[in-house]
Amino acid sequence: MIAQDLTIVLPEIILAVYAMLALLGAVYTLKDGAASLVLWITSAMLVIMAAWIGLSGQGTQIAFNGMFIDDGFSRFAKVVILLSSAAILLMGHEYMAKHDLLRFEYPILVVFAAIGMMVMVSAGDLIALYMGLELQSLSLYVVAALRRDSAKSTEAGLKYFVLGALSSGLLLYGASLTYGYAGTTLFSGIIETATAGEMSLGLIFGLVFLMAGLAFKVSAAPFHMWTPDVYEGSPTPVTAFFATAPKVAAMALFARVVHDAFGGAVGDWQQIIAFLSVLSMFLGAIAAIGQSNIKRLMAYSSIAHMGFALMGLAAGTAFGVQAMLIYMSIYVAMNIGTFAFILSMEKDGQPVSDIASLQMYSRREPAKALAMLVLMFSLAGVPPLVGFFGKLYVLRAAYEAGLGWLAVAGVIASVIGAFYYLRIVYYMYFGEETEELDKGTSPVLWGFLMASAAVMVFGVINLFGIESVAQAAAATLVN
Amino acid sequence: MAQAPDRSTGALDYLVVRKIYGNKAPQSGSDETGDKMAQATGDGPKSNGILGPVPVLIPLAIFIWSLSFIGPVSNGEVVRLSYDWVPSLGISLSFLIDGLSLTFTLLISGIGALVMLYSNTYLAGHPQYGRFMLYLTSFMLAMLGLVLADNLISLFVFWELTTITSYLLIGFDNESAKSRRSALQALLLTGAGALALLAGLIILGVAAGTFEISEILAKGDEIRAHALYLPILILVLAGAFTKSAQFPFHFWLPNAMAAPTPVSAFLHSATMVKAGVYLMARLHPALSGTDVWMWTLTIFGAVTAVFASVLAFRQTDLKQVLAYTTLMALGTLTLFLAFDSGYAITAFTTFLITHSLYKAALFLMVGCIDHGTGTREADILGGLGRIMPFTAAAAALAALSMAGIPPFIGFIAKELMYAGAVEAATSPVFVASMALAANALMFAVAGIVAFKPFWRPGQPTPVEPHEAPWPMLAGPIILAVLGLIVGIAPGLIQGTLVTPTVAALLGSADEAKELKLWAGVNLPLFLSLGTFAIGFVLYVFHQPLRRTLAAIDARAPNFDRGWDRVLDGLKALAEFQTRLIQSGVLRRYIFITFATLFAAIGTTLYLRTDLPDLEGIEVLAPKQWAVVALIIAGTISVVLTRSRITAIAALGVVGIAVALIFIMYGAPDVAITQLLVETLVVVLVAIAMLSLPFLDKPGRHDHRPLDAVLALGVGTVTTITMLLVLQQPIDLRLTEYFEQTSWPEAFGRNIVNVILVDFRALDTFGEIAVVVVAALSAYALLRTTAKEAQ
Repeated sequence: MIAQDLTIVLPEIILAVYAMLALLGAVYTLKDGAASLVLWITSAMLVIMAAWIGLSGQGTQIAFNGMFIDDGFSRFAKVVILLSSAAILLMGHEYMAKHDLLRFEYPILVVFAAIGMMVMVSAGDLIALYMGLELQSLSLYVVAALRRDSAKSTEAGLKYFVLGALSSGLLLYGASLTYGYAGTTLFSGIIETATAGEMSLGLIFGLVFLMAGLAFKVSAAPFHMWTPDVYEGSPTPVTAFFATAPKVAAMALFARVVHDAFGGAVGDWQQIIAFLSVLSMFLGAIAAIGQSNIKRLMAYSSIAHMGFALMGLAAGTAFGVQAMLIYMSIYVAMNIGTFAFILSMEKDGQPVSDIASLQMYSRREPAKALAMLVLMFSLAGVPPLVGFFGKLYVLRAAYEAGLGWLAVAGVIASVIGAFYYLRIVYYMYFGEETEELDKGTSPVLWGFLMASAAVMVFGVINLFGIESVAQAAAATLVN
Repeated sequence: MAQAPDRSTGALDYLVVRKIYGNKAPQSGSDETGDKMAQATGDGPKSNGILGPVPVLIPLAIFIWSLSFIGPVSNGEVVRLSYDWVPSLGISLSFLIDGLSLTFTLLISGIGALVMLYSNTYLAGHPQYGRFMLYLTSFMLAMLGLVLADNLISLFVFWELTTITSYLLIGFDNESAKSRRSALQALLLTGAGALALLAGLIILGVAAGTFEISEILAKGDEIRAHALYLPILILVLAGAFTKSAQFPFHFWLPNAMAAPTPVSAFLHSATMVKAGVYLMARLHPALSGTDVWMWTLTIFGAVTAVFASVLAFRQTDLKQVLAYTTLMALGTLTLFLAFDSGYAITAFTTFLITHSLYKAALFLMVGCIDHGTGTREADILGGLGRIMPFTAAAAALAALSMAGIPPFIGFIAKELMYAGAVEAATSPVFVASMALAANALMFAVAGIVAFKPFWRPGQPTPVEPHEAPWPMLAGPIILAVLGLIVGIAPGLIQGTLVTPTVAALLGSADEAKELKLWAGVNLPLFLSLGTFAIGFVLYVFHQPLRRTLAAIDARAPNFDRGWDRVLDGLKALAEFQTRLIQSGVLRRYIFITFATLFAAIGTTLYLRTDLPDLEGIEVLAPKQWAVVALIIAGTISVVLTRSRITAIAALGVVGIAVALIFIMYGAPDVAITQLLVETLVVVLVAIAMLSLPFLDKPGRHDHRPLDAVLALGVGTVTTITMLLVLQQPIDLRLTEYFEQTSWPEAFGRNIVNVILVDFRALDTFGEIAVVVVAALSAYALLRTTAKEAQ
């Protein structure tokens, strides 16, 4: 029995054992001298795990009496999480080394965060949920404050920690209410109580608090305030990490909770998610307009994109979950390329994040500017780039679920949102000559940037077949 | 060159740009709106090398290939090609060739070939020639995709591609702040319309149950009767009206004239701006025939046509004059799409072809003048007839067609318009008078554009006038002569283009009316004569009239400035909300979080239940009152004290009071745990706080009243929630289980102890391990700090 359970969580166990061994090994040998080596091996490990999970997993398996679920949905999310974590590690290597931030703990903390995320998306129980969430959050608090000599980075870490702890408190409060009135922490048990007649008041309040806590983790408005400060204060590779894997994990966890634990009570949570979605889309779109720092801008961009992903979730259908998964995959692919570009923005060897420094960039680096143009148009959802199809999916899901007003709001928000992505393009192509950014990019960043842009263009042929995979994944969650 | 440096470097400097330039636009002289490429090429032979003429071959090949479809299409056939794209969303890449799409295809590829040939000389030696041709060719392919698409979503995709390529082409001269601003304005405005269109198309697709246009067109009655017909119509028309620059979305089009002249001729006259008209024509069978359709199109079309004609009359820059006449044409086309009579639709089709022929020719002709003289100011130009005879000839031919003089095709189109207007079911007088006003103004404008610069005396021009080279003349001459040929022999386009197009819109080829020069003495003929008379008078008095108009215009509300206000407002809103929410102060973030929580719980309470039932709560005994007083006193001290140590000690008092409650209700073990934890927390936090630096300055306290209100609010809703929740039946299965099994299985009467050491022994062991590890790391940390301190 135990052996069987352990086989199911084997990927998580292997990663955890690896991370602890690497931590001990580095402490007792070269310390930070081993950082590069640890980083490369870690990335390789993450890719191997992603391949293993993606290729070998079949059907739905349940471990530890339902606390841990290995199904198509969780495998889809895990593959995206692991691959994006590996990509971010590789992309950030040079940056971290150059600015004396390459500590051996960094890749290991990323692995711990990734393990936390894997547990989150596979959680079948409130305890497992909380364990995964805290493992992820605690690792992220530390990496946010990695640049200890910078007041901004430390402040970012502290703010993140305080608000994160607050949200964890809300989530725990909700979890205990839920437990009290469902008599179990297992999702499969909660859903039985939730669907048997009208939901009791205790369960409803439990749901409200749980969703407030989860909304913080996906940085949905009005629980988004930490996002711009943390994005700006953290070292750029860490920001890139924040913008990708944790978002997928939190969104998948959100889907898991509302469908697995409260699936029968769509009416009770649909309005809350729709509200979070509208608020996030508009806040992300409007607030970004005034930004001159590209990292803060990407923070607002991520808030707006989470709003769109939540729109898929708000539909409360299998198609909605499919739309959300496709949206998140596309979002991650776009963000990897965009952050590869941001990481390459340097002047005299120092990182620059001012948007105005991009003026007339197309003259100096036409290829990179073109790739960035593609990515920006895709983030804005301009057809026929892949980003458009993501938006189309969630809009359609919301519309078909009877949330026509939400779809209309989404369209309006994306018009406003397009504005600031275009501003970057505008600067790159139609700006004034200004002090030049450094030329030349490391081949790794260049490769990620070009690959990501190419995905946005060539993906329009058939979205690389992700549709049917996401459909199958969504079908395992919603039934 | 009037390019002042753009000094604004703020986050939004492209919005600020207009403060430097915008108020002059679009009536400023051609020195600023002029294409400097045109003048730059005056001296010395330059070429674009081997790349030069190659792009011309692409549209030429497409044009010839399209000609091969004329046979089948004129026989009433419809050709369809399809390929599955995103099947789960019902998107396919399918194409449809019928009369309407074939007419557009021929216009796009034919004019495209001429414009590209023209550009090769116009931009000879320009360093960015390759980029220009890439954009122009991409645009043309997107436009062809748009008119051929048979799927709503793929149509939309091509629609947006034309928007993007148009953006790149308008902003092609990226050193000019004006063209950058115009490019962005066009992009945002048409982009916004396009998203409305997307919403409309999705609803239309869902309502019709298919995204294939050819299937939707067959379901016209079903769609018109659908509950969502009105939203579909409004959204689709919003997209079409912004794209085709209908009033009040018209202002981007004259600004878009900042693009190089070939672009203006191709995109902003002959093709792209007609995409909106195309869409309305394409969906005509599905959406037309209702009162809403008819009145919306009539009013918007008529107002645009007349408004634009008046403004055209008011301009002095030849290119601006043509831009406004293009608006007039778009308004007229929209106006005639309002109806579904044979005359109206035949007039629509004929005028569509006619306008593309003469307007492209006139734009290219203005480019020739600009190229040859260095200015486009109507007031300066004159006497060019002898120096530029071929340009003058092309201009004359095109202008005669525009003025609607026989035997040009323009005359036939005008006659058909009047016939269509007279036949209009509900408002013949209104439509006819609108058409009459617009046509008369066109007549006058034709004189200003094509007669005055060549045959009237003028002033010296910046560059010594010279005739344009032949590749630049080929386009205008071919197009203008075509206008004459099809005017004399309208049969050339009757069976091949006009009738199939009318059939595509109205479903039957029999509805198409005959194109003929002499239709007998009838009402349209008298209206034509009236047009000439009024137009001639207007031309003679055009200068005093123009001054009057300019005076009125200066005082009238300006849409262009209104647009800037909208953008400024958006920016102000962004700044406002950032100041409000994203202050960077942690306290305020927490405030917002709690405020949201208050709202969320409050709303749930309000929607879900009544207030809790207080009757079941027993009256407190004096000792219980004492504990409550202790808790309240502790809380008040926490809030009021300024000393950290006092605050944490007071918080400890609250905790201990809670422990007392546990004791009163017979749970001494829990009480002891609570006491221990509370003591430990107070001691640890106090130690940590002692080692923190003291802040001399007490911070500002003006936020405290608000904080107090929120705290009371959150406290109240939480209390109500607790009271409510506690009145619900709680799930007691676990409690019962432990009550029943603790003695028989573990031989213990204290349930909590039994749980800790028996039922959950492994958990307890784990907890102890965690505490040990934590203690060890604390020790390690303290040791390191102590070492550093030494």
